[in-house]
Amino acid sequence: MGLVIEDPVIRIEGLSKSFGSLVVFRDVNMDIARGKTTTILGPSGTGKSVLIKHIVGLLAPDEGAVWVGDVNMATAKERVKLKVRAQFGMLFQHGALFDSLTAGENVEFPMKYHRKWSAAKRREVAMEKLELVELEKFYDTPTASLSGGQRKRVGLARAIALEPEVVLFDEPNSGLDPLTSATIDDLIRRMQHQLGITFIIISHDIVQAMHISDYIGMLFDGQLLEYATVDDFLHTRHKKVREFLHRNVTLPEMDEADLIDP
Amino acid sequence: MSGVISLLSQLGAFGNFVASFVRASLTHPPPVERTFEEAYRIGVQSLPILLIVSVFVGTNLAVQGHNAFEQLGGQSMVGTFVALAGIREMAPIMVASMVAAKAGTEMASQIAVMRIQEQIDALEVMAINPLWFLVTPRLLGILLVLPGLTMISVASLLFAAWVVAMAQLGLNGTEFLVQCAEITRGVDLLFGAVKAFVFAIIICLVSCFFGYTSPKGPAGVGKATNSAVVVSAVVCAILNYLMSEMLYG
Repeated sequence: MGLVIEDPVIRIEGLSKSFGSLVVFRDVNMDIARGKTTTILGPSGTGKSVLIKHIVGLLAPDEGAVWVGDVNMATAKERVKLKVRAQFGMLFQHGALFDSLTAGENVEFPMKYHRKWSAAKRREVAMEKLELVELEKFYDTPTASLSGGQRKRVGLARAIALEPEVVLFDEPNSGLDPLTSATIDDLIRRMQHQLGITFIIISHDIVQAMHISDYIGMLFDGQLLEYATVDDFLHTRHKKVREFLHRNVTLPEMDEADLIDP
Repeated sequence: MSGVISLLSQLGAFGNFVASFVRASLTHPPPVERTFEEAYRIGVQSLPILLIVSVFVGTNLAVQGHNAFEQLGGQSMVGTFVALAGIREMAPIMVASMVAAKAGTEMASQIAVMRIQEQIDALEVMAINPLWFLVTPRLLGILLVLPGLTMISVASLLFAAWVVAMAQLGLNGTEFLVQCAEITRGVDLLFGAVKAFVFAIIICLVSCFFGYTSPKGPAGVGKATNSAVVVSAVVCAILNYLMSEMLYG
């Protein structure tokens, strides 16, 4: 791969996972850079969401390790994993907001269980986070009344509510129109610069990845085919990666003989 | 053979679910506020249908008791019959069935929807134990209200039977009440409450289990809800027989 990450926030070592006869990962190795935005690309069904679930310890690998600091999420006890998860925020593909609550109550939700704050303090912090995603006027709006893009932004406000070290995004643009997608991309980039925390994004949207990432990796057929800075990624010699990128970006010309076909 | 294996596998999964739930409940503080919210919701939701069904079961017990004892010349035994059948058997299992149909299905479908919309994953990522968050307040809530609902069912059933006995069957109302009082021991009400307690645990854990392990998609929610009410009702009916044998046999 050639990419060296100093002081990674997460280390994935030799990760292998199968569901029955379906092999999802085969010996995946990857370091995630601290305070940067890393996007993991791949066609649908390549296990991108499964990778996120391994990082937060919702799934255990068949082989390998996922290190968050000095904790191996693959083997840690549940109470240790709970402590580590408190350092994570996550934006789910469809928001995963609680429909019985308002937008503001959703953002307050993790504070209620992890901070001994008064109701007024929780409201103040939730309002601050909603302002970051430009939805402060929707504090008292039931989440069921929000549009898809608004739900994602509330989900993002909830993900950063406890000021986590790492925020994970599962397909942040799925189901959104191009304009709303662009708004979400700008929001992610602006927030990463403002907050300086680690963002890990799972996506199949190469345009978004180029727009907001520091590093891009691509999963295909159970392997991490390429993992590099954005510029190096566009100069990839992997045939499959080039095929994947080809529809959306113009790639530098290369001789067929120089390409790698796994 | 595959049916037996599937049943055993489901039983094993249920055992794991219950063990994880007990562990989660013992290692977290009880969610007091949410327990009372659930108790209020389950109680208020189930009360109207419970009252209607209890009243008409009471009227039918009186009419059928009268028909049966009339042929033996024992019309005066109707009060005894209604009290025995109503308090010992009908009220607890009827309340359990109504609550399984009303609150149990809601538990299963709500949790199943949370599962398919990744809200349960969201709880885990937010470092909130989902079993403690979802199941504990529902179990404590149903335990708080089910014995009370059973007593309300007993009272409305007896009242309706008493009214029918007097107004429709022409029996002596005072004699009916005296028979009820003579045959009913305090321990019968206690046993009714014990049955209600056991049924509450079954309904809640079974419904939450099917919701929690729901297959994906809208069809999965429907399947989970259906399984929750069917399994709860069947298990409660079998336990009702076994407990009656133990308590009165």
